[in-house]
Amino acid sequence: MGSALTPALEDYLETIYSVLQQVPVVRVRDIANARRVRAASVTPAMQRLAGLGLIRYERREYISLTTNGEAAARRIFSRHQLLTRFFSEVLGMSEKHAEEDACAMEHSLSAEGMDRLTRFFEFLQTCPHADPIFLARMHGCPVFSASGVCDRRCGGKARALATVSLADIPAGESAQVERVDASGAIRRRLLDMGFLPGVEVRVERRALSGDPLWLRMHGFQVSLRKAEAAAVRVIQANGAPQTDGVSDKKAS
Amino acid sequence: MQGTHVRVMLAGNPNSGKTTVFNGLTGGHAHVANYPGATVEKRSGHYLHRDTTFHVTDLPGTYGLTSYSPEEAVARDELLHGAPDVVVVVVDATTVRRSLVFLAQVLESGANAVLCLNMADEARRAGQRLDVRKMEELLGIPVVETVARVPKSLETLREAIASAAERPAGPSRVVMGPRQEKAVAEVLGLLSKALATRPSRWDAVQILLDDPAAVAELKSSTPHAERTLAAAALARRSLERATGQEADLAMTEALYGFVDGLLRETTVADTRRDARAVSDAVDVVVAHPVLGFPLFLVAMYAVFWVTFRLGEYPMEWLDAAVGAAKSALAAAWPETAAPVLRSMVLDGAIAGVGGVIVFVPNIALLFLGLSFLEDSGYMARGAFLLDRFMHRFGLHGKSFIPMVTGLGCSIPGIMGTRILENERDRITTMLVLPLMSCGARLPIWMLLIPAFFPPPWRAAMLWIVYFFGAFLALGLALLLRRTLFRGEDAPFVMELPPYRLPTLAGAAHKVWERSWLYLRKAGTVILGISILLWAATTWPKPDTYKVDRLIAERKISLSSDQAERMRAAEGLEYSAAGRIGRAIAPVLSPLGFDWKLSSALVGAFAAKEVFVSQMGIVYALGEGEADRERLQEKIRRDYPVSTGIALILFLLIATPCMATFAVTKRESGRLSIALLQFFGLTVVGYLVAALARLIVWSVT
Repeated sequence: MGSALTPALEDYLETIYSVLQQVPVVRVRDIANARRVRAASVTPAMQRLAGLGLIRYERREYISLTTNGEAAARRIFSRHQLLTRFFSEVLGMSEKHAEEDACAMEHSLSAEGMDRLTRFFEFLQTCPHADPIFLARMHGCPVFSASGVCDRRCGGKARALATVSLADIPAGESAQVERVDASGAIRRRLLDMGFLPGVEVRVERRALSGDPLWLRMHGFQVSLRKAEAAAVRVIQANGAPQTDGVSDKKAS
Repeated sequence: MQGTHVRVMLAGNPNSGKTTVFNGLTGGHAHVANYPGATVEKRSGHYLHRDTTFHVTDLPGTYGLTSYSPEEAVARDELLHGAPDVVVVVVDATTVRRSLVFLAQVLESGANAVLCLNMADEARRAGQRLDVRKMEELLGIPVVETVARVPKSLETLREAIASAAERPAGPSRVVMGPRQEKAVAEVLGLLSKALATRPSRWDAVQILLDDPAAVAELKSSTPHAERTLAAAALARRSLERATGQEADLAMTEALYGFVDGLLRETTVADTRRDARAVSDAVDVVVAHPVLGFPLFLVAMYAVFWVTFRLGEYPMEWLDAAVGAAKSALAAAWPETAAPVLRSMVLDGAIAGVGGVIVFVPNIALLFLGLSFLEDSGYMARGAFLLDRFMHRFGLHGKSFIPMVTGLGCSIPGIMGTRILENERDRITTMLVLPLMSCGARLPIWMLLIPAFFPPPWRAAMLWIVYFFGAFLALGLALLLRRTLFRGEDAPFVMELPPYRLPTLAGAAHKVWERSWLYLRKAGTVILGISILLWAATTWPKPDTYKVDRLIAERKISLSSDQAERMRAAEGLEYSAAGRIGRAIAPVLSPLGFDWKLSSALVGAFAAKEVFVSQMGIVYALGEGEADRERLQEKIRRDYPVSTGIALILFLLIATPCMATFAVTKRESGRLSIALLQFFGLTVVGYLVAALARLIVWSVT
């Protein structure tokens, strides 16, 4: 062990860091409260952290982080945060279980494993092609969510959960193509015409009784019957108006 | 390329102005024929450039090099197997991105391509400027900007074609993603091993994507296809695993990626001013789901008016000219010299020619109207508005237009089905179109409706006849699509181009082409049948007439006019037509028709309105107003209402006229379709008429 941080010490360092985010100063009592342990069991840990040069600690004094300590704490904290978010946001676990698993896992991952996981998560968050379309697709996929068996090579019903059909987009609204759920002639034709993932489509108008649709795409306009448009799965460009829009109105 | 003949093919998306380029290159001298075994039309022509003859074929417009509609299949087969020396890919410069994807496919097929950026003026006005030299360099092919409406701008295209013809096609410079490239290379290797000929990259792509046509082709050309396909399937799966996408999506995205890269490199300026702003503003009203309809009806009425009301004048002139020619010839040709030939020429041939050319003004004017509707871009709007209604009956939105035209005359109506790109839509519309009660049938209704119905009912009956015909047409179209022409609908992916000012030259080309085609192809058949029918109603002649005997025996006394009419009636009865009438009368007896009606129906095959004059001859009456009323009286006396209704229905539905038959054969390219139309409608007419008679008879 020696100079290495044990899982328990890492937890303490993390606690100090997170308490410091909320209050300007931290004492042994605060740490004991946060971790629900007796003050007596906190003190030796503080002494060992001080010995490692990560904190400044005198009896009955406030505890503060050294520069090294702050860096280590931030690393541990963000790692914890990241794992928690990964479990809850990407894998869809409940907050509580995500938190628990993050605690258990954060200490046992190798540096490389953690690094890869971090990068993966960052990719998911930044790449326009990956989020949230990718996640929506994953959660709709039977292989991931339920039976564990893929019922169709691609474009199965299970995947339709997070997307809507282009045929259901009202006139005057835009949407982003997610995929084309068709086969044969219609699929090839639609792909050739440029109905590709990420492409913005606006439903300009509809004929009487809603069929066919008049679409505006990159640089040209085209008409599709509802039957064909139904094969084009889209994500509405405005995001999810039922959450954002409503809360905005309530606030004002 | 050595030699003095170069085969050039024009390929491109619909609405790319391909046909205008074609007309500009060839000076509009197109030879129009059908591709063997398909209803798809083949337009070809040629031009001379620096002592070399360039044979140009205008391929059907297509969005991709796949084969999911007959038009696309033809374009694909011609491009891939027609061994063109040069392929000119015509691209609408205002929608350059999508069109370039098609170019990329053509390049992948190994074609010796020339890129023609058409409507360059429009693109410039929209603020888009492309570096043509750089594009040439990146694509490795000649690239020219043209404004096809301005013939002079095509000179550079001619130069580019000539220079392309002089050297072989370089390797395709289309680059896709590394994973796609790997998969294509893999399949290309497989194909090279399996095939005797050198496969193109596009062949590899098609096999990789499991394209049914390409797979069938492979199977027919090598016995080891299964092994190759299994290996290709592996490549496909590993591509899908690597990209996380379906293979076709991965390939299409890669092509779009290539095009986007190309455009990034070559776009000098793109101010992205929306060139369609005006067009879009117009569409707010014109394509409005509700407001659009009255406008559409006005447009329909305008086409109808131009075709038939304006067409009346040249029709009268032609009629007068034919009449004058006939009387001039009759005067010059003494009655004693070769009387049979004289009668054949005068009553058969000249009448037949008259019967042919009488349609020409209608056809010319209809195509003038249609080309304005099409070239302006309005047609697509009309189809958009009407599609829902027509699709219920298995037809296309555009089917409405030829069907409305059919109310004037079936001949231009059937020729108007040309606006339908899809073969199945076209054939179905063509088959049911004669049910639209045409102008030639109006005299029949004018004769029969007053004969069988009291005055207050007459107007309503006329409406019922028209509506019954129209709805039966739609119903039968649905039936056809559920039975003979079953199968998935062709994808209704209809581009809505911006409004454009139609050019007179373009319209003139179309009008000339159609009229000439009609005269040359359908005209000969119509002329032939006219002469045949003339012979059938004239021959054989009785040696002696009963009337003459009765007059000679002084049993009756008649004016010479009356005697002549009696002779005509007797002659008709004795003639082949009369005998045919008598022969088919038993078959038609369930409808209540006797030999008189049957004989008149034989005449109605020549032209529907002939029924009226034939009835006059049968009853030995002239054509005056008084005679007409007497004819109606006689008909009323001879036939019950149930037979009258059966007769009206039979004339409405059954036996489309010979001109319809000829034009259907010509337009569908198949005799079987014309025969199906003729006999199908006759059977339906027979059944409907028999059923109606039974119902009316049991009610009254």
